[in-house]
Amino acid sequence: MSQISRRARVRQLADSVWPGRTVNGYANLIAARLRKLAEEGSTGMLPVSGHGDGAIFFRGGQVVYAESSRTALPGPRATGLDVFGLLPGEAPLADGEGHADETGLVPVRRASRLVGILEITELIIDALTELLSSESRYARFRPAEVLPVGQGRPIAVETLLTEVQRRHEVLRQLAVVVSPDTVVACDPSLDLPSAQISPTQWALLVRAGGATTPRGLATQLGRSVFGTTIEVYRLIELGLLVVPGRMAAAADGQDPGRPAAAMSFIRAVSGGRGSDG
Amino acid sequence: MILPEAGELLAPVMAIEGFRLGCLVDGSTGMVLASVQGQDAPAPPTAAAGAADVVHVLTLLNGKLATGEILEDVMITFSDSFFMIRPVDRDTEPRILLLVVADRHRTNLALAHRSIRELCASFPA
Repeated sequence: MSQISRRARVRQLADSVWPGRTVNGYANLIAARLRKLAEEGSTGMLPVSGHGDGAIFFRGGQVVYAESSRTALPGPRATGLDVFGLLPGEAPLADGEGHADETGLVPVRRASRLVGILEITELIIDALTELLSSESRYARFRPAEVLPVGQGRPIAVETLLTEVQRRHEVLRQLAVVVSPDTVVACDPSLDLPSAQISPTQWALLVRAGGATTPRGLATQLGRSVFGTTIEVYRLIELGLLVVPGRMAAAADGQDPGRPAAAMSFIRAVSGGRGSDG
Repeated sequence: MILPEAGELLAPVMAIEGFRLGCLVDGSTGMVLASVQGQDAPAPPTAAAGAADVVHVLTLLNGKLATGEILEDVMITFSDSFFMIRPVDRDTEPRILLLVVADRHRTNLALAHRSIRELCASFPA
């Protein structure tokens, strides 16, 4: 009689029924559902629940928007006009930007538009990274002709799934040191080294205070949880933030709160283990 | 492509003699925003991830040294190719990186460097 485990047997059966659909986690089921919606050229909304609630919006089989209750929302700029190089007239003007024309729209310079689009896209992918975690489940797809999210940012499902898988791998690497929900703090007892930091890192440091998490900081600043977790990791590398639970290690001669293993983007694309969150 | 709008911005690097790959990379997350490929191009996700890692290490070095300097560019020479990385905006926080890979035997490094510098200067970030 075969000695294979029950779990392995279930996995074999699942694979044989639907290639690519495994019992490793719900994330794979959601990925399969997204691929199906893409193939069908669907337009509408896929609600997702689990660790946090959210939804993924499709137009013509491409993802145009996503939001999760556990990540920052893209805000009013994500509703569409800016995607085509125009911001609503009421949006605050950055230095060097033009003035609203008779339509109430403001032409925006090319590169600042690119950075703006990147910020919006980053928040959408951040929400997807959260929604495609192993604890998430999808509900019935709700077809709709008109989406409540404006034009959105059409991105191919496969492109998104590849990026989400890469992010899960980076987060898996970071988890040794810090996760989006790890409490981090500025420890006033530390003799802080002199260091050069970016404006983004400074914004995180001044808000870190006694104790907070990368997710909390991201929500406060309206930024990506993934990007903020990486920046917090970098501040830990610089010795400017610590993970309080790891302070005790100092007595053993180890470096307190410092990364045990370096994060590597290249390892994330070459050694990924799937998007199982 | 995550940002198809960014693809058109990469067109000038394709004119570099020996051009193999051009990528715009989000340096903070390692995400490929857009890429254009020539002959014998390396895989954009791997090349972009490597570029982001290199810049991450150099930013850490700069952070530890705390000299107030800003990373301008990185030139890497392999036996057959050049990897050239340059933050698109001259800022203390290089958000978007331009990566260009070119054939070492066909590329004039000084001219390529100049083209990349001019392209980045044309991005008014």
